[in-house]
Amino acid sequence: MRLTEKDIKILNNISLTAGIFTMIIAVTMIFSLLQLKIMKPLDSPVILSVKEQYDKNPADKQKAEEVRAMDLMARRAYFSSRWQVETGSYLLLAGAVIFVLSKRIIAGSEKPAPQFPEAKTDIALQKRKSQKYLIISASVITAAALISSLLLRSELPAPGSRQAGTVSSESGDKGLFSAPGGINYPFFRGEGSRGIAGGESYPAEWNGNEGKNIKWKIPVPAPGKSSPVIWLDKLFITGANGSKCEVFCIDKNKGEILWTASASDFPGASAVVPESDADAGMAVSTAAVNGEVVCAVFGNGNIACFDLNGKMKWAKNIGVPANMYGYSASLLIHGKILIVQFDSDEKIALLGLDISSGNVTWETARSGKPVWSSPVLAIYDGQPQVIINGDPDVSSYDPLTGKELWRTKGVSNDVTPSPAVNSKFVFIVQNYAKLMAIRPGMNSAPLWEDNSYTPDVSSPVANEEYLFICDGAGSAACYKPDKGEIIWKNDFNDPFYASPIIADNKVYFLDRTGVMHIVKATDKFELIADSPLGEDADCTPAFSEGKIYVRGKENLYCISVN
Amino acid sequence: MEEQKNKYSSRREFVRRAGRIIIASPIIVLPAILAKKTYATGYVWQIDPFKCTQCGQCKTNCVLTPSASKCTHAYQMCGYCDLCGGYLRQGVKTISTGAENQLCPTGAIKRRFVEEPYFEYTIDEKLCDGCAKCVKGCADFGNGSLYMQIHHDLCVNCNECSIARTCPSNAVVRVPANEQYIRKDKKS
Amino acid sequence: MNSILERIKKAKYEAPLPGGSGVDKMKMNFKKYIPYMILLIMLIWHSVLFAQQRFPRPEFDSGYTYPTNQLPNQRGPMWEYMDVAVLIAALAVTSWLALKRRSRQGLIWMSVFSLAYFGFYRQGCICSVGSVQNISLALFNSSYAMPLSALLFFIVPLIFALLFGRVFCAGVCPLGAIQELTGFKPVKIHKSVESVLSAIPFVYLGLAILFAATGSQFIICRYDPFVGIFRLDAPYTMIIFGSLLLLTGIFVNRPYCRYLCPYGVLQNIFSRFSGKHLTITPAECTNCRLCEDCCPYDAILPSDSAAHTEPKEISRKRFLIYFLLIPVMAAAGALLLNNLVMPLSRVNSTVRLADEIRYLKENGGSEISVALNAFEESGKTEEQLFAEEKLILERFRKGAPWVGIFLGLSLGIGLFSQTMRKPRTDYKPHQGRCFSCGKCFEFCPVVKKN
Repeated sequence: MRLTEKDIKILNNISLTAGIFTMIIAVTMIFSLLQLKIMKPLDSPVILSVKEQYDKNPADKQKAEEVRAMDLMARRAYFSSRWQVETGSYLLLAGAVIFVLSKRIIAGSEKPAPQFPEAKTDIALQKRKSQKYLIISASVITAAALISSLLLRSELPAPGSRQAGTVSSESGDKGLFSAPGGINYPFFRGEGSRGIAGGESYPAEWNGNEGKNIKWKIPVPAPGKSSPVIWLDKLFITGANGSKCEVFCIDKNKGEILWTASASDFPGASAVVPESDADAGMAVSTAAVNGEVVCAVFGNGNIACFDLNGKMKWAKNIGVPANMYGYSASLLIHGKILIVQFDSDEKIALLGLDISSGNVTWETARSGKPVWSSPVLAIYDGQPQVIINGDPDVSSYDPLTGKELWRTKGVSNDVTPSPAVNSKFVFIVQNYAKLMAIRPGMNSAPLWEDNSYTPDVSSPVANEEYLFICDGAGSAACYKPDKGEIIWKNDFNDPFYASPIIADNKVYFLDRTGVMHIVKATDKFELIADSPLGEDADCTPAFSEGKIYVRGKENLYCISVN
Repeated sequence: MEEQKNKYSSRREFVRRAGRIIIASPIIVLPAILAKKTYATGYVWQIDPFKCTQCGQCKTNCVLTPSASKCTHAYQMCGYCDLCGGYLRQGVKTISTGAENQLCPTGAIKRRFVEEPYFEYTIDEKLCDGCAKCVKGCADFGNGSLYMQIHHDLCVNCNECSIARTCPSNAVVRVPANEQYIRKDKKS
Repeated sequence: MNSILERIKKAKYEAPLPGGSGVDKMKMNFKKYIPYMILLIMLIWHSVLFAQQRFPRPEFDSGYTYPTNQLPNQRGPMWEYMDVAVLIAALAVTSWLALKRRSRQGLIWMSVFSLAYFGFYRQGCICSVGSVQNISLALFNSSYAMPLSALLFFIVPLIFALLFGRVFCAGVCPLGAIQELTGFKPVKIHKSVESVLSAIPFVYLGLAILFAATGSQFIICRYDPFVGIFRLDAPYTMIIFGSLLLLTGIFVNRPYCRYLCPYGVLQNIFSRFSGKHLTITPAECTNCRLCEDCCPYDAILPSDSAAHTEPKEISRKRFLIYFLLIPVMAAAGALLLNNLVMPLSRVNSTVRLADEIRYLKENGGSEISVALNAFEESGKTEEQLFAEEKLILERFRKGAPWVGIFLGLSLGIGLFSQTMRKPRTDYKPHQGRCFSCGKCFEFCPVVKKN
């Protein structure tokens, strides 16, 4: 179809107009779309603020009118934008079609006559060139992809693995969120003293009276209330007769005493036996062990550190921690620091001793009144911290420097249970007061509080899903850690002193008569077994490699299925 | 020379024929494999109101503007309350149809007095834009009779629904085309 | 179960009698509470359905009847088969137009028809380009059943490609049609740029199959630039992308077809083995060279000049090296994609959610995403989520190396095919790259003698 010059000019004009028309519509539409999506007339901050003002004074009729007017405007703007977009798209289409059509007609008539091209290129050269380009492009893409894949690979964790905390494992205390190992039980309530034991296949049923599943049973070498701690095959407990303080090392598989060491035969050892709770004695604090040493502290202020074969490395007296019920805080080891919570009527402090020499690396004063809780090691925001349920505040300290990291209002009056921790919160409780969940941080308000179950001695234990608690009235309960709602509860007959331990998806509640109530760690109360020890028991059990160690009043038991 | 060339070309032809058969094999194999996995009737997308958490993403994620998902009212489930959790904003002091009390940003819910103490709430679908604020209010404070559904006169039935892709509770599912809606007011 | 429901319905909807004596009143009061007690029991059983029923069903005295709620239905599924029929018919007509009738005008009108029918009327969905994903999902996911029409949309154009070349691209695919009709000022692209950009569809295809097979996403559908134009409605990012692509397409013709379309990879491969293919000349080629520069897609292969051929030894060596390189490339591809499994799997929303949960557990934080919020409300356990995530990652681990092998093989075979080439004596379109658009017809002066 041949077109005259005039026709082409007309078509050009048409296409130009159509093109400009399309552009204008397109710009308007994009603007309307942006207004809809980004400026959001219905949710604009102006409206929200007017609504808020109205809420503050609901009787204000004028404000109500203002809100109505703004709402009408906003709705108008919204619907008009929508209308613009809808109709605009048709106009856009029409404009584009006219533009394309006219351009095609012009192009159709303007076809150039075919021309002879220049000399043919060298085929071989062309081939080589194309191969070169292909190789170059392939290598560029491959290099880019390789580099990016290597870069990205190192950042992301492989599935299933969890990033271990930043704490070195020398102290036997791994990062908070890696599962505790099943062999070592280095502190009062296991790793970090958090109450969660590693390992599996722990016995559920036993009977101390009949000897069922009792692997061995030996008389406790010296009286005391400290719990056993374990490193590899060695179990350590402390005992004291009057002011004669001793540390015992027992083979955990055979039940033979490997060595006994005295913690009162050193220069500076205290001979004073301060007042304490009736049958507590001086050996109430649980020892702490890492791969190299075992340390023990006693109610008269004697602290001693031995290597794992019983040879004393150092010993000193840090002052007599005289208080109403007797000194009871257990020890922690973090790296090369031995953490000692010192609570006496005169001085309340947290000390960090160098584990090889016993020198005080740091000492931080604490405020408030003496407590009988033990410190717990946790990691928040990558920072390892020692958390103490104090009176009246809960406080947290850097274990390497002793610096106080945060402090917030907690509970008061005879604070004895130790804190429970999970990756988000700290849970503290005190009898006659309440159970509180706190987000770690300075002066943070409690997340929730509840006073249904408040133990006097037993410490609660928490993991990511549940918080378990048992009290002196014999009740045990399970809370949801983030909301504070009680998922289940059960009233057992006898009071609890020992702290519950979570192991192998079960919770082990040991009551004062020595009966272990084993419950499934789940959101329904499911009792697996009630296993009697055969005698009274107040000490929190230790768990290691499928065996449970309970210190009863008279005897130390090893409970195992095989 | 001629022979060689012929051989060459016939070899090429053979390669091409063989290649054609090899390439054609998936065309035969695929339908055989997939024969059991295809269905004759169509499927459409629909929101399962029992999984929906009223997050409000139905409005923003649909490829269409306005979204093809709208609020639907199951009258049989409604409590016809004066203080309607889906109609009124949280914490209103007076119950009226004033814009300062309404929850719906586009004014799509109409309130009508029926008899003491019952009020009927209807949704003007032309105004509803699927923001799910009323659905959330009704679910939190009422009977849950307001629920989100994808309206199939608007939905273009994409191969992969953009709302389904981003729904945090995976509530947007494929349903057979002869049952295009998952209704809350018809309990089987 | 049903009988319990019946009983509840009866109990709940039995209205208490107005008025009555004192004793009756007591009885009535007690009766009134029975449904609530049963309700309480049911609350414990079926929290989903019944727990939301906070307010009882009203008892209307004024004779009010519930309004009926008619929800509109979509067009019946049988129309999909109409689309398949139109597809087959359009393909047949296009093949005839391209190969037998050799009419460029006819092909343009075909494009207009396809744009109108498959594009604006059917709004570009379901299309053959996206059907690759449906096939992929159906093959590797037992819980998905694909529509038969999707299978046919996948297979039928490939059958025609095997028989007649890329006639689907010529006049049936609506995306091709819209690009064909708006490309009026073709510009030549340098071979180096062309070869780099031509690699993209292979990567796109591989990733699309991987993401579809793992149930992560249909990326072809999500990033389809023209479907927004067909629907006259799309997220504004896609509209901008589509319009920009069309504007570029005025000069660099068919940019999506050449540098993005994943289905085009399959059309390319199938078309190379086609029995009949579009030819530039209706009869014998006279080597007049008039058509050499006319193809806007640079798909015409000129005949070889007599001189300047490579020495046989070098070409044979190259032949061997490239042949041996093929498995090397495939292995390299597999290795590369294996390394990329972790970042690729982040496309999947379940994997992202599991990641977020792990991250929050280890680092703490108060802001959680909408998805995590919904997950917490849904009552699903973390164990279930992590089990699902494990399954998905297994799929990625198994599938990604195969995508790598595919990419490596494509590159290797592409290089290799460069080395083995029989000398050409006439002008032919490249059997893989030619879109059968027919633009070259008018440049050929040869007239067929009947």
